[in-house]
Amino acid sequence: MDKCPFHDAFAEHRKQGDAIPITFDDEEITMILGFKAVRSAARDFGSFSSDAPFRVPIPSEEDVRTVRQLPIELDPPKHKTYRALVEPFFRRPLAPEYAEKVSDLIEELLLDASGKENIEIVRDFALPLQSRALTYLFNVDESEAEIWTGWGIHVFRDGKADAKDDFSLEDYINRKFDEAEASPEQPDFFSTLAYAEIEGERLTRDEMVGFANLAFAGGRDTIIQSVSSVFALFGMQPELLNKIRSDSSLINTATEEFFRMVTPLTHIGRVNTENREVHGVETKQDQRISLCWASANYDETVFKDADTFCPDRKPNPHIAFGNGAHTCAGAHHARLIMRTLLRLIADLNIDIKLIDLTENIEKQNDYERRTGFESLIVKLNRTTTSS
Amino acid sequence: MARLTFITESGDNVVADDAFGTLMEVARDHEVEGIDGACGGVCSCATCHVKVHPDWLAKVGPATEVEQELLDLEDETDNRSRLSCQIEVTEELDGLVVEVVTL
Ligand code: HEM
Ligand code: HEM
Ligand code: FES
Repeated sequence: MDKCPFHDAFAEHRKQGDAIPITFDDEEITMILGFKAVRSAARDFGSFSSDAPFRVPIPSEEDVRTVRQLPIELDPPKHKTYRALVEPFFRRPLAPEYAEKVSDLIEELLLDASGKENIEIVRDFALPLQSRALTYLFNVDESEAEIWTGWGIHVFRDGKADAKDDFSLEDYINRKFDEAEASPEQPDFFSTLAYAEIEGERLTRDEMVGFANLAFAGGRDTIIQSVSSVFALFGMQPELLNKIRSDSSLINTATEEFFRMVTPLTHIGRVNTENREVHGVETKQDQRISLCWASANYDETVFKDADTFCPDRKPNPHIAFGNGAHTCAGAHHARLIMRTLLRLIADLNIDIKLIDLTENIEKQNDYERRTGFESLIVKLNRTTTSS
Repeated sequence: MARLTFITESGDNVVADDAFGTLMEVARDHEVEGIDGACGGVCSCATCHVKVHPDWLAKVGPATEVEQELLDLEDETDNRSRLSCQIEVTEELDGLVVEVVTL
């Protein structure tokens, strides 16, 4: 391999213009590539709609779930009303007590891992971190995370857990709502949705499941990938870690730079509302559009030396979390986790040695992109023993 | 130490006495609606956008070059626009009034 997997996967595509036709699993899609073009398309819900069950993710998810994901598969103004129902949960990471819990959790995991011969980061660090942190967002008992960790790392790619073929995420979610409805209202995510009202009407069960499904699915691979990439990059380039260790003012900028370079979600779909030319590509009504965040975030007209990880990049207007009305609700949580991880790896004097890795490759006819790891084995060493 | 006023989009006036740090941090501490400061003050998110009251423009000064690059991506910014995370609160700014405008 002569080129870093996290480098620009769409450089050649962007040379052909701001949009190109691509084939994705037999579907003809117009992929928007340039930073400004993607950003403005994300805001133009009149032309590019999200009001399309199963069709916002690429590939589409008719086979993986039975309900419309909420609030993502709606357009404004309805979207706003629905998002407002769960917004208080997604804002929980802004509270100092929440930050403290995340810090304690990551410290525990790092100290644990650095006592071992080596550790497989994806399953034994990122997955438990992601699952346990999500209990704080949902405001449920931390022990629930054991169930979520047990699902393994493929659950939201194929709707099935690694080990059990009969597992269904929707069954689990339905059970949680059954329990919530059988008890008085509690301040957790499931109960809040079970009792929530829009214009005096309770949500339907499908709507409740749609909210929960997205909160599980949207926050799993993305966080696992972001967290894993920290270990991969610092393992490859220890001098970057040293730089951050010696200057803690780099933590927030480096966090944003991770999100830009890793861009865990390659792209997301919209449905074209009428026949039109999209940056020169004839696109039919109802045909899908891809908003390619992963291309936009490497657009050299906006990001100088886009292929280089600049821990102090500023400004860094990356759109890894999307843009406009649907900007990732989980971004506060994601940012908190990444900042805390960087701070603690630095402060606990942990050094990272890469032992072995297997990449995940997103492979389509028209592009190939590395998105994180199937497995990533490292050795963590504490260089000074301060405790 | 300075006293600052944020006028939110729903028309509330949030007054912060004894403010210090950046304007965004003050707004976050006072839970000013419409100021998220999502990126933590590093010119990534523009969720800290304000428009400076005309009387205060000269004292606050224009956006920095880095900040302006981010503001230029937005349609609803003008010459009163600043990212509040890039404004350090000083004695000079005692009495400052800004309007919160989400982008
Ligand atoms: C699958 C794990 C990874 C592998 C195997 C890998 C491999 C490589 C290799 C072989 C190079 C040298 C390229 C050359 O000299 O032409 C490189 C450079 C680099 N990689 Fe990675 N990489 C991985 C993960 C990452 C991640 C997660 C990031 C960023 C988040 C990253 C960012 C970089 C950067 C910034 C360089 C320096 C080269 C430059 O600045 O142009 N890599 N990587
Ligand atoms: C690094 C981690 C993450 C990345 C890169 C990411 C990326 C994104 C992107 C690009 C969107 C916009 C989708 C669109 O425009 O249609 C989005 C939306 C969303 N994400 Fe995330 N996400 C991350 C973490 C999370 C987490 C941890 C959660 C939940 C726990 C979450 C929940 C959501 C939700 C609910 C939406 C829909 C927002 C709406 O429609 O208003 N995400 N995410
Ligand atoms: S807080 Fe993100 S740009 Fe000011």
